[in-house]
Amino acid sequence: MNIVTEFLVVAGASLLAAAVVVSLYSLGLRLLTSAGRIPTVEPAEFTGAITILTAAQAAKEAKRAKKARKANPLSDGQKRAALLGAYACFVLCASAVLYGVYLIVPALHG
Amino acid sequence: MDFTLIVVLVIVLALIFDFTNGFHDTANAMATPIATGAMRPKVAVTVAAILNLIGAFLSTEVAKTISGGIIKEGDDGIQITPELIFAGLIGAIVWNLITWLRGLPSSSSHALFGGLIGAAIIGVGFQAIDVGVLTSKVILPALLAPLIAGSVAYTATKLAYAITRRDIGKPDGRGGFRYAQIFSSSLVALAHGTNDAQKTMGIITLTLIAGGYQAAGTGPETWVITTCALAIALGTYTGGWRIIRTMGRGLTQVKPAQGFAAETSTAATILASSHLGFALSTTQVASGSVIGSGLGRRGSTVRWGMAGKVALGWVLTLPASGIMGAFAAGLALIGPIGILLDAVIGTIVVVAIFWWSRRSVVSHHNAINDIDDAGRVVKIRKTPRKPPRRDRKKVAL
Repeated sequence: MNIVTEFLVVAGASLLAAAVVVSLYSLGLRLLTSAGRIPTVEPAEFTGAITILTAAQAAKEAKRAKKARKANPLSDGQKRAALLGAYACFVLCASAVLYGVYLIVPALHG
Repeated sequence: MDFTLIVVLVIVLALIFDFTNGFHDTANAMATPIATGAMRPKVAVTVAAILNLIGAFLSTEVAKTISGGIIKEGDDGIQITPELIFAGLIGAIVWNLITWLRGLPSSSSHALFGGLIGAAIIGVGFQAIDVGVLTSKVILPALLAPLIAGSVAYTATKLAYAITRRDIGKPDGRGGFRYAQIFSSSLVALAHGTNDAQKTMGIITLTLIAGGYQAAGTGPETWVITTCALAIALGTYTGGWRIIRTMGRGLTQVKPAQGFAAETSTAATILASSHLGFALSTTQVASGSVIGSGLGRRGSTVRWGMAGKVALGWVLTLPASGIMGAFAAGLALIGPIGILLDAVIGTIVVVAIFWWSRRSVVSHHNAINDIDDAGRVVKIRKTPRKPPRRDRKKVAL
């Protein structure tokens, strides 16, 4: 295999793997949010990029999530389906990552 | 010089290089989760250290082919002596420390290759270097690794934002990416352990074989694997906070979705390349991913000035560590006094760099949030009380 082909294969494989993992996790988050289970993150005291800064702001965020949950137009069945879909996405995403770990450990595949 | 002594010296120096490799590369895995607050700085470096330790034990395939044929060896080729390995390591360590002082994420592998190549050229001559292998294994990957990782991270970031995009005002749940970051950055740390610790194992094994302490063609001994794993883990735990600062916020402001996309791209690129037998620099892949993810998020800016500085560091790494390795080799070839001189000059330079670094300490306290600390102090009290009357007068004056 010449060097250009090798690079193309590496680029293609990386793109495919990253796209699959990121899409699955993002889809999981999207479905989770649709199901009304919006992940609210604890306030981080040390962080630079997060907008939540104080406990009061975190409470406000949680309130907003609760309000959005109430205003959710989906039926209970649809919500359950979305939640199930979200979990399925997370499981698939985790399996993809575990497969990555399997690949870097030669002891596992001889 | 007593052969045993030079072997011991090379082993000690190789372990020091392994340590600098660890703290130089902590940023590859942990800069983005620290920047987004997915993990506390101390927790992040501890996790990275443990995973590097585990990673070092998982695979020793690469260790046997450390020089990867760049320096011709073997019966019909040129035998690289422990003195030259010693000189090459000094060049690599000094360059690693200089780039650390400047906060530049440069490739530790390139520093090692550069040092060894420089030493081999002085010791043996230009015929010691296989230019074809050098181009295909070091120079081309150096140019292409950041490009591949950058475009993968760009696409992944676009995907992450597109999939989670919702109407304005509706919560998008993107904070949830912070949980995923814990896993994605851990994967990068593990991949790093399997790759980088092996370089030092390879160097030590080469020296032991050259010294006749180990049969040719055998893999690294258990004590070599253990000491190398410990050295890289200790280095990682010490944390190269200066480089974490550059990667975490110097190149672009990292948000959780972006951080997750960048780390996944880094891990995917490293895994794909090493699985397909293609060595890419972990550092260049990680930096490329961070820049790519910065380009992929709408409204974010990439600080091209800093990116240029980082790229300059990459270009300079090979020749600069080569010159240092060559200089050290020139001294080492004088004989025992030359090697002693090398050791003394190397120690003086290392001490001087550490002394210089004390002038502005970057640690887990201020690697990412030195500016934010100031911002937070202001933000804590949203409506400040009116200052006492006498102060108001002062202001009025």
